[in-house]
Amino acid sequence: MAEGIRIENLVKTYGSGDTAVHALRGVDMSVAKGEVVGLIGPSGSGKSTLLKCLGAVIEPTSGRMTIGDRVIYDDRWKAGDLTALRRDLIGFIFQAPYLIPFLDVIDNVALLPMLAGKPNAQARKEARDLLEALDVAHRAAAMPSQLSGGEQQRVSIARALVNRPPVILADEPTAPLDSVRALAVVDLLNSMAKQFDTAIIVVTHDEKIIPTFRRLYNIRDGVTIEEERGVLKAQAAK
Amino acid sequence: MISLAGRDILHGWGKFVLTGVGLGLLIGVTLSMAGVYRGMIDDAQALLDNSGADLWVVQKDTLGPYAEPSSLNEDTERPIRAMAGVDRAAGVTYLTMQIAHEGTDVRVMVVGAEVAVPGEPGQPPHLLAGRRIVQGHYEAVADVKTGFAIGDRVKVRRNSYRIVGLTSRMVSSGGDPMLFLSLKDAQDAQFDKDSDAIVRQRARTASSPVLNPPGNPAVAEAVNAVQASSNNVNAVLVTVKPDADAGQVAAAIRRWQRVTVYTRADMESILIDKMIANSARQIGMFLVILAIVSAAIVAFIIYTMTIGKIREIAVLKLIGTRNRTIAGMILQQALGLGLIGFAVGKIAASFWAPFFPKYVLLLPADSVRGFFAVMAICSLASLLAIHAALKVDPAEAIGG
Ligand SMILES: Nc1ncnc2c1ncn2[C@@H]1O[C@H](COP(=O)(O)OP(=O)(O)OP(=O)(O)O)[C@@H](O)[C@H]1O
Ligand SMILES: [Mg+2]
Repeated sequence: MAEGIRIENLVKTYGSGDTAVHALRGVDMSVAKGEVVGLIGPSGSGKSTLLKCLGAVIEPTSGRMTIGDRVIYDDRWKAGDLTALRRDLIGFIFQAPYLIPFLDVIDNVALLPMLAGKPNAQARKEARDLLEALDVAHRAAAMPSQLSGGEQQRVSIARALVNRPPVILADEPTAPLDSVRALAVVDLLNSMAKQFDTAIIVVTHDEKIIPTFRRLYNIRDGVTIEEERGVLKAQAAK
Repeated sequence: MISLAGRDILHGWGKFVLTGVGLGLLIGVTLSMAGVYRGMIDDAQALLDNSGADLWVVQKDTLGPYAEPSSLNEDTERPIRAMAGVDRAAGVTYLTMQIAHEGTDVRVMVVGAEVAVPGEPGQPPHLLAGRRIVQGHYEAVADVKTGFAIGDRVKVRRNSYRIVGLTSRMVSSGGDPMLFLSLKDAQDAQFDKDSDAIVRQRARTASSPVLNPPGNPAVAEAVNAVQASSNNVNAVLVTVKPDADAGQVAAAIRRWQRVTVYTRADMESILIDKMIANSARQIGMFLVILAIVSAAIVAFIIYTMTIGKIREIAVLKLIGTRNRTIAGMILQQALGLGLIGFAVGKIAASFWAPFFPKYVLLLPADSVRGFFAVMAICSLASLLAIHAALKVDPAEAIGG
């Protein structure tokens, strides 16, 4: 399978000297295109830190990260246009949907292609297609506050996908959802990953969905342990 | 690309519009202050224009007749009239006083002008209604702002006058509307003494052997007559012939008479640079304070709006919105607030200008200046909020 994400010996230390926190101590990880992997670990183990490094939000201390052929970080790294990098390569899904409250549903999604320079009409068309695929197109004109939690989460997934980024990073995307909806979101991520050839990392504590991942990374004290699991289909778990 | 600023404003427009209206009233006050200043200058210009004079002849070494008291004998006028280059010359008196009218006191400037010949300097140059003063006595022409109507009788000192004509924009440099009387009537009013004073004055004359020589009562009569009337004026207004140079005529009058002569330019500088200067500084202070208060309000509201959106701004940054776009959004909101404020302020100022007791002149040029000042203040005021927004770390959107 083609490589989506590769992380080699990634180190992140917050602060320095006596107060230094060694959040990541040499993480290795790889995710294929079209694959969804889980990332689990106890609180404070470095999951969010890993997402932030990969998401080009904070600067790692050392190591190497690539997305497809593109080197995101290595020892020759210089701070470049991280905003454009995030916009073009990475989709984010959060525990809470964090939709923009003053934009209606369709423009919440269409904003990303617009930011990438696409004309409004085309951006909205792409957004609508995706909302249809996620079964929330009928709420396109609503404001986020008028949506149910599950609908909001689906809109935020549409937003993460709309620019067809090669990578999606999801931090606890199912935490506020009941088990049926949580499994539906995982199904959705799986089918989206296949459809768009996206490499997806899902950080989770959620016991309901952990069994659905074919591959899991367990992170402890800043290092990852890869675990293979027998696939428990979301369908079967219901 | 959609307008993030516009969408955000539409989403919470109630608060935004209310703030804009509040700001607008403040801007309205600011525009009115500027209008009051322009009104004062315009009043001064109107005073000079409407006097119809090219030169003002006043008591030697005074800034009269508007800025300082000045007193001349009315006979000063005659030799001036005969001088080369002089077209007309006429004495005038000015006296500011309160006049009772329909139960209220009206503050007016009583102007005494020569009425025998139409078009003499000092007369009202145009009438809205009625006619000019034709009788030597007990007729008056009033500025409409006095509130007097044709046919009204008004009492000035001891005598009563009938309003026969109305004029407009005839105000003193202090903005008091004018009431025109014949020069003779006005002189009487100006130098009128009350009855007790006359009785006392007569007694004094009678008891003085010099003024009342025994056996010759005609002398005392004559003295009393002289004392009871006045033939002083506050200034002589002069117009020069079309081909004459006002400066040269002024120089000639100065050479021959013991008087001070001002040209139109001198008079403008006395009224505007000397009399209005302090008020102008006063208003300038107000404008500065109002500008600071407006800036503080805009800064505060835009800052509050931005702080309320920190989470959204973090998300926007995380999903790839540039700092430039976010700063632009905040700036546009500040400018939008300024736009609403300016529109409301302009409307408010135009609406309430007529209710001001003094003339408020809203110049379009001042509005344009005000508009750019508002926009500049709003841009400055948004800097604080922009600074806060740019400091937001996109990592905050991911959280712990
Ligand atoms: N900005 C920071 N400065 C200093 N230390 C930090 C910072 N962010 C995280 N840390 C520390 O790094 C370690 C890893 O934190 P991280 O947020 O990655 O944990 P996590 O696995 O996401 O935990 P949780 O499951 O509770 O969200 C923790 O010990 C944390 O205290
Ligand atoms: Mg975390």
